[in-house]
Amino acid sequence: MSSEIEIWVEKYRPRSLDEIVDQEEIVRRLKEFVRTKSMPHLLFGGPPGTGKTTAALALAHDLYGENWRDNTLELNASDERGIDVIRSRIKDYARTLPIGDVPFKLVILDEADNMTSDAQQALRRTMELFSRNTRFILIANYVSKIIEPIQSRCAVFRFQPLPKGSAIERLRWIAKNEGLEVDEEALEAIWEESQGDLRKAINTLQAASVLSRHVTVDTVYAALGKVRPKEVREMLESAVKGDLVGAREKLRVLLYNYGLSGLDIVRLVHREVLSSKSPLRLDNVTLADLLVLIGETNYRIVEGADDEIQLMALLSKIALLAKSGRS
Amino acid sequence: MSARELPWTEKYRPRRILDVAGNEEAKKKYVAWINSWVRGKPTKKAALLYGPPGCGKTSIVFATAQEFNWELIELNASDVRSREAIEARVFSSSRTGSVAGYAGKIILLDEVDGISPREDAGGLQAILDLIERSAYPVVLTANDPWDPKLRPLRDVCELIEFKRLGKRDVVKVLESICAKEGITCDKEVLSAIAENAKGDLRAAINDLQTLAAGRKSISLADLQVLGERAEQESMFEVVRTVLTAKTPEQALSVTRLPSLDYEMLLQWLSENVVYQYEPSLQAIADAYDALSWADVMLSRMKREQQWALLSYALELMTAGVASARQRPPFKFVKYNFPEKLRLLSRMKEQREKFRRAVRLAARNLHVSTSTFKTEILPYIKVIYEHDRKKGEELLEKLGVRREDLEVVLRG
Repeated sequence: MSSEIEIWVEKYRPRSLDEIVDQEEIVRRLKEFVRTKSMPHLLFGGPPGTGKTTAALALAHDLYGENWRDNTLELNASDERGIDVIRSRIKDYARTLPIGDVPFKLVILDEADNMTSDAQQALRRTMELFSRNTRFILIANYVSKIIEPIQSRCAVFRFQPLPKGSAIERLRWIAKNEGLEVDEEALEAIWEESQGDLRKAINTLQAASVLSRHVTVDTVYAALGKVRPKEVREMLESAVKGDLVGAREKLRVLLYNYGLSGLDIVRLVHREVLSSKSPLRLDNVTLADLLVLIGETNYRIVEGADDEIQLMALLSKIALLAKSGRS
Repeated sequence: MSARELPWTEKYRPRRILDVAGNEEAKKKYVAWINSWVRGKPTKKAALLYGPPGCGKTSIVFATAQEFNWELIELNASDVRSREAIEARVFSSSRTGSVAGYAGKIILLDEVDGISPREDAGGLQAILDLIERSAYPVVLTANDPWDPKLRPLRDVCELIEFKRLGKRDVVKVLESICAKEGITCDKEVLSAIAENAKGDLRAAINDLQTLAAGRKSISLADLQVLGERAEQESMFEVVRTVLTAKTPEQALSVTRLPSLDYEMLLQWLSENVVYQYEPSLQAIADAYDALSWADVMLSRMKREQQWALLSYALELMTAGVASARQRPPFKFVKYNFPEKLRLLSRMKEQREKFRRAVRLAARNLHVSTSTFKTEILPYIKVIYEHDRKKGEELLEKLGVRREDLEVVLRG
């Protein structure tokens, strides 16, 4: 099993509801849907890496067996270009009848909370239109960002972050399968850094395992240190030094070489700002100032403004803030 | 100039690409593009040669036709560029075989910035269609490629910039014409003609021919006949006006230019303001505040069809920038073409590959492309750095094609 190279989050993703060891209450109710071959629309909410997508896929698998893909349409709201595209894909897909003895097909719509409320209204109508032979599973980090009329049409399931014990148990099991030696403190460190996000934890373990077959606390931090694109920190460091030409060069590497979107970069800057080791932890600059600037940039880019101009405006304000305390 | 005499600009048009004066970089780029056609695998079906008048854009196309023995199919500004005209004259011949005697064809659409969207109804679309369907190289020329109406053409063309010729290049050509015409003429005189022509070789040759009419020698005194030639305002000058304006009103004056491409101006200002206002962080931050607001206004204007917002956007990017606090004293800065646009166009193909690969991998992992790029790919890159084979295999397993691996892992 361990010889084949695969990304572990996929390799060790539970295929069936039976394989899901946590979220007992949720799993129990989902199995009931499988047994009766009937279910309402579902809404899965919860932080990243808590098994929402896995549970949806496992449910599909258990409902339809090995041919689950024929009866399941997977969409990611963040990647489909607008509600019209989503609607027409659902329409095309819902036109045909389900194969097998389950009387409905499944639409899994991930990151549904990234849709505007107008788009969600349109989605609601689509859900109604095809409810005769289609069930939706909407997945969202924040249930509160899903409009009320959709919430009220769905059975809502809230996924909790895995308790520390089960997460570490899972990591230990994967390590054993891969023939890895992992120190107990290393597992603790992975848990600490991943904040209950199992996907992040497993990815960290896999990256650390490449650095050394014996995973220690040091290997874990070495791997994590390499994972964060250093350009984001370097870009901020240049800005803090007042070198905006240098900051722009790094910004362009992120945008045009790494292929990140402006929004991706705003998120990484946001994360960097909150980290205690951030170059932006300056005596004279309050976190509130920075968060307002970053939030405003985020809003403008979502609104459709130019990535590079908005991020440069952000960096030049950061440069000015940093300087005002120095002189 | 006697009636029967050919204009020297025609008579001495270069017959080989290498004989086109100056613009070495543009020639290199152009030859690479033409070669891609000769090899049967064009990088882009059309090229847009742009630059001020008289710097060799049309000549290089004539030279190409001569050198390769291709039939030159030419349309220029005086032609009616209606869809019908293009269909009849250019398109009907763009796919069918060539007339006997020619080895191929090349299509020249001269001065495309002269197209009027109103009078040449459908002309622009017809050009796009032509490029799309043509089996032969299509060359467009323009003085101002940043004209907003040309945007769709910019996207499909190889952009090749021709610059004003240097004085020395112009003098060299004038000397060789004098030699062939048997005219004696001081280098000083030729130098003055070149100076007056401001890098426009066609103007210089025309002036030379005018001065030489009916005589075998030219003196400095003869030069007075020539009028001063006016220079056109280019994007560089617009940027300079805004970034070195003494008052906001001065900067605002550029918004009255008839064919100002304000979106392009925004990019040019963003590119160059950092260099012009260095080292004043206050000035850069203020300027960027104005530019970023101009950008927001433009995007709201387009999204919500609130055309009234345009004036705020224009004022912000000109007067707004020029009202930045603590601007440093004037210094001469050599302005750059927006690096962003260069990078975007250079990496267009790569980005397409990257997008395709990421989309596939994200789908196979049941995550969004954004999650894949920020939450998964960094880990795969760490693995790749330590074990290349393993990193590649991981991606292949996620459905990334072998030929796309490099572009995904490169960053």
